[in-house]
Amino acid sequence: MREKRVRELIQNEDVKIVKKPSKSIYGKIIYYIAGICISLIFIFPILYMLAASTKTMEEIARDAGSIMMFIPNFSNFGHILDNYKEIFNEDYNVGRYALNSLIYALITIVLNVLINGLAAYAISKLRFPGKRFFNFIIMFLIIVPVESSIIPLYTICKQLLGLSGKLSVLAIIMPASISIFNIFLFVQFFSSIPKEFEEAARMDGANTLKIFFKVILPLSKPIIATVAVFCFIGVWNDYLWPKMVLGTNEDMLPIQTALTTIQTADDVTTGKIMASLVVTTIPIFAVYVAAQKYIVKGFGTGGLKL
Amino acid sequence: MLVSALIIFAVFLLIFGLVVFFDVRKAKKHNQKYHFGRAVTAFLLLLPATLFAFFFVLLPILYSLGYGFTDYYLTKPNATEFVGFDNFKAAFEEIAEGGDLAKAIKNTAIFVVVVVPLQIGLALLLALFCNNKNRGTVIFKVCFFAPVTVSLAVTAYLWKEILTGSETGLMNQFLALFGIPAQDFLRNDDTAMLWIVVASAWQGCGFQMLIFLSALTGIRKELYEAARMDGCNAFQRFLRVTLPGLKPTLVYIVITVFIGACRIMVQPYLMINVYADRNITISYYMYEQVFTSYRVGYSSAVAFLMTIFIGTITLIQRKFLGEKKR
Repeated sequence: MREKRVRELIQNEDVKIVKKPSKSIYGKIIYYIAGICISLIFIFPILYMLAASTKTMEEIARDAGSIMMFIPNFSNFGHILDNYKEIFNEDYNVGRYALNSLIYALITIVLNVLINGLAAYAISKLRFPGKRFFNFIIMFLIIVPVESSIIPLYTICKQLLGLSGKLSVLAIIMPASISIFNIFLFVQFFSSIPKEFEEAARMDGANTLKIFFKVILPLSKPIIATVAVFCFIGVWNDYLWPKMVLGTNEDMLPIQTALTTIQTADDVTTGKIMASLVVTTIPIFAVYVAAQKYIVKGFGTGGLKL
Repeated sequence: MLVSALIIFAVFLLIFGLVVFFDVRKAKKHNQKYHFGRAVTAFLLLLPATLFAFFFVLLPILYSLGYGFTDYYLTKPNATEFVGFDNFKAAFEEIAEGGDLAKAIKNTAIFVVVVVPLQIGLALLLALFCNNKNRGTVIFKVCFFAPVTVSLAVTAYLWKEILTGSETGLMNQFLALFGIPAQDFLRNDDTAMLWIVVASAWQGCGFQMLIFLSALTGIRKELYEAARMDGCNAFQRFLRVTLPGLKPTLVYIVITVFIGACRIMVQPYLMINVYADRNITISYYMYEQVFTSYRVGYSSAVAFLMTIFIGTITLIQRKFLGEKKR
């Protein structure tokens, strides 16, 4: 075998031309069957979630034990969205919770980009005394492992913001708006923007803020998208923190935390629970599909977090 | 609390002032000058981030070290006093007596020991499975990654519904095909934790698979060619080429999955808290101490111990897996 390959190599000279031994057709068939089986194991809970969300309690019981468990209730097509309609009405108010989550996420994204972006801009582009201090603090806070600062964070928010009534929303938005790691990302990105852009704008009489908003930000779309996507996923998926700070403020709960409220409602059925889970998951799924490029980029930089 | 925050802030400002002072003096020595207006602008731009970072990042870190040595009570924050190592003593006594904390540690340990190898092994196998040029692997990748888009809370509720004790539950239906009677998976203390492992690995391993995949594409093809020509079989190629190539990624993944597993809380909290108070984890225990017993100081002491423990294990892992300095 080896001699044959060497002979081939000598004949062809160029290594790249050597063909890999082609897989047998049986190998391929086995590969695809295995792939489909593993895929099914991975997505059966999701298929079940989708299918059950379209069914009433009786239909779920009727389909039990057959392949119909994983197939939406197409036989009763007119009522396929009944569970969804019900969870969006006043008893369950899923729409309200989803809107809450969306608002929190959007505000957090805007604040995140502004606060961290401005700081990073000052650090990477402006000359001022004491820059070393900020550089040191950033590196220090990135390196220090934070396992359990959630309890002090809670007590600080409680003392600072009171955590009663409408103001407790601030406790969801404000801690999420600062991210040392995002400052770090922004600094790296801004440093790669050539000085000439700024200098040209300064010649034209633009002030520092104007340069940031009109020159730097438009050039930084990729990094803003990365930050925004991870910020959205983080805020939308957070369960524990909103539960801690909002407590019993039912109207202000984000959707993840509200799932618990929906679960314990009086006339809740498996179908309705599944429908609420689907509604909770769809935005994140959409973000993953739409922002693939940025997510992969984020994974790449994620390695720096250590 | 506000007093200590102010003191810390003052120290913070003092250090900053000193750095500014020395920077300005150094600039003067070199006959340079800072543009005053521009420096003020820079400080203004940095101000919001500095305030936010101070209150929501730096202060929590410092307090998480300090609270453990006080008798901070959630309802009486102003009556806080320094109590030395009392909280730590109480924690060790609780462990020695086999109290809730001991059970929490045991449960967390079981979870970590099972989930870390399972999830990483699964992720690696899936990555190897997808790492070829066959048509349609993209669809497999999407299927393996799909659970990652499901949040922790949704994962917990979804699996709770699948594992429900009634006969219409999905898992019981599946077992019924083999003639096994209906089981109450999550109410059974012996199996509940293992089902949480399954749910967590299901939700998490797609993410690690993606990281492994990007690392696999970084391994040079020539190495495989050379190994093949030297007569290595597929397993040997994996052992001699793939694994060494994946080592830095593997270290990173082992550490992150390990830390994440140590902090497990949402799944047991949502899946089994209703049934069995025995199946608590360390994070869950700390949460309960704060919100039902209001013992912030004690809870912080436990958190402190956990941080030290995780830090030590992480260091050992790095040493053991031989990470090179980047």
